[in-house]
Amino acid sequence: MSDTNAVVSELQARHLTRHFKVRVPGHVLNAKRIVRAVDDVSLDLRAGEVTAVVGESGSGKSVLARLLARILTPTSGELVLQGTPVAAKARRSLAYTSDVQLVLQDPFGSMNPVHQIHHNLIRPLRIHGASKEESRALAESALRRVSLEPPERFLDRFPHELSGGQLQRVSIARALCVQPKVLLADEPISMLDVSVRLGVLNLLRGLCDDDRLAILYITHDIASARYLAEEIIVMYAGQVVEYSRGTALVDAPTHPYTQLLIASVPDPSNPLSVAPNIGEQNLSTIAQQGCRFNPRCAQVMDICRTQEPPAFLVGESHTSKCWLYRDRPEVSPGPAIPTRRGKGATTTT
Amino acid sequence: MSTDALERRAAAAAIGDAPSAPVGPAVNERILEITDFCVDYGVDASAVRAVDGVDLHLDRSKVLGVAGESGSGKSTLVYGFTRLLRAPAVITGGTALFNVGPAREGGADEFIDLIAADEATLRGVRWTQISVVIQSALNALNPVVRVHTLFDQVFKAHRREMSRAERRARAIELLELVGLNEDRLQRFPHELSGGQRQRVMIALALALDPKLVIMDEPTTALDVVTQREILGELAELRARFGFAMIFITHDLSLLVELADEIVVMYAGRLVERAHARVLYDAPRHPYTLGLLNSFPPMHGERRELTGIAGSPPDLSDLPGGCAFHPRCAYAMGRCATERPPLAKLGGEDRYVACWLHVDDAHAPVPVELRRATPTTPSEGSST
Repeated sequence: MSDTNAVVSELQARHLTRHFKVRVPGHVLNAKRIVRAVDDVSLDLRAGEVTAVVGESGSGKSVLARLLARILTPTSGELVLQGTPVAAKARRSLAYTSDVQLVLQDPFGSMNPVHQIHHNLIRPLRIHGASKEESRALAESALRRVSLEPPERFLDRFPHELSGGQLQRVSIARALCVQPKVLLADEPISMLDVSVRLGVLNLLRGLCDDDRLAILYITHDIASARYLAEEIIVMYAGQVVEYSRGTALVDAPTHPYTQLLIASVPDPSNPLSVAPNIGEQNLSTIAQQGCRFNPRCAQVMDICRTQEPPAFLVGESHTSKCWLYRDRPEVSPGPAIPTRRGKGATTTT
Repeated sequence: MSTDALERRAAAAAIGDAPSAPVGPAVNERILEITDFCVDYGVDASAVRAVDGVDLHLDRSKVLGVAGESGSGKSTLVYGFTRLLRAPAVITGGTALFNVGPAREGGADEFIDLIAADEATLRGVRWTQISVVIQSALNALNPVVRVHTLFDQVFKAHRREMSRAERRARAIELLELVGLNEDRLQRFPHELSGGQRQRVMIALALALDPKLVIMDEPTTALDVVTQREILGELAELRARFGFAMIFITHDLSLLVELADEIVVMYAGRLVERAHARVLYDAPRHPYTLGLLNSFPPMHGERRELTGIAGSPPDLSDLPGGCAFHPRCAYAMGRCATERPPLAKLGGEDRYVACWLHVDDAHAPVPVELRRATPTTPSEGSST
């Protein structure tokens, strides 16, 4: 795969954590409990690479995207944009949003339905200080970039006149208008028709290869992560449970949760097995003590119930947060190793 | 007590559905036969044909998979023949014969035409013989009543002889079948997780021992792990009670595991019909091939896949000839002008609507679409 040392780190997250206070349902005294939606997640988005975050609903992957876009402020941890730490309490600046753009899951929900496409595309550009003429030209070139040609045909349409796939391309174009360095894509294909999903994935690939964008691809579909990404992170209950560069994580999963996820993907070469009823990921099945996955884990041991496992290095650039690998060297969770390398790369450039 | 009842029911179901049951030649394997079924939305010149000339049949205890993208008419098809559609949808043609069983002991199976049936007849068939698990379990369950009321309503409408205690016992039994604890009966739908709601939906659908259960994208909104569990449970329940199933989804790879036969719909028409495995191993319609190649594989070398070019069709402005031809890599001149019929593929028990496979086709069949039994469907898909 690509040479890590030559790659510039565009956006880094260090020990990003976000807790929410929620009311305990049915509790008379309005008791609150803390939900650790994102807990000590570090990652590194590099130019020309796709990093995939895979997890079920409730795993904290969308909160992570919103933290990276600075829509939410982290409880602790920091963001480093192109080598410069971003002040945690500072207001989200135009400079930051022009470098880091977010594409949301539902293209119909993320466009203003009473305005034509040109308004939806040009308004953010005007806010970012482009003149009217400039904006129009930028919007047209962005539409061309996402293969919506000729752009004039699309600029005067309303969102409801386009198909889901076309509209998702428009929302990617909108993100590209301000020429960002980092694109955060939160489940960009899950609402689209099956036949147009690959088109959007291939578009993201092209943006990454040709325009050297750093892309965070959030998905629940591990097969598409394998197809697209240089780096895959599996999240469970707000934590990174397994991480690998390349496809090692899918081809040889080590964490029981990743193994469960992969076994659950419909695969015609594996006939339908009757899965054990192990429950879902929700507040009651996430352990408050020890490994968060232990109530659902098939290989649970005593230590899992009491102590939270650190991440262990299970292969080259492959970590797993599971006590099964306690004989392996301990590392900081997530893509810590490439982060260090990535940091080296940033200082040399 | 309740396990006893379960065994009896399972045994009864097994006898009733076994092909060699001692009822004589009267037992008919066919339970559903749909012919030339058409549904329009609207009535005037702006009417849109959502389902166009669909022929289908389903045998006892079999699973029929219906695959297609949104707008392909797969949901309209099943809500159409079960007569659940409301205006502006209009059924403009076709018959749907449904096997309602013998009128008297030992008699021959009788069929009724669901399309022509009046409300009273339909009421006798709905839920007791055909039940539907509709899409999106959150919206399908009445949000202002507790789960036990949902069960009560079904029994009060269709099993008036049941006492309160019997209704409750049966509801608990049904929840156990789908792996839910009886304390869920006191919950409101919003207190259940997505997977639990879908399980409640399935339990409700099975409440009256139907012969045919229709599942409209039952797992689409669920996480993959939950989806896997529910599909596993469905397989067990089917093995036990022997109901037939029509399973609608856009996920073709899921159908391959689950279904006996698969039909693929495009723009309201069937474009291919074949046994699940056959369809997966050797698709014959370019659209089916494209759909199968739209799912990145979990194994093997990473390579670029192309999916299907273009966008799904607009039903109010369908292209002439074969509706798929503007997106088809193998389109010929004929495809733009003449619509291919769903025809039996020479010598095989499968049907495909594509000019490539018609005997007098002048163009050679592309290699991807004539492979005998390839090992993986992704072969030949890369650019």
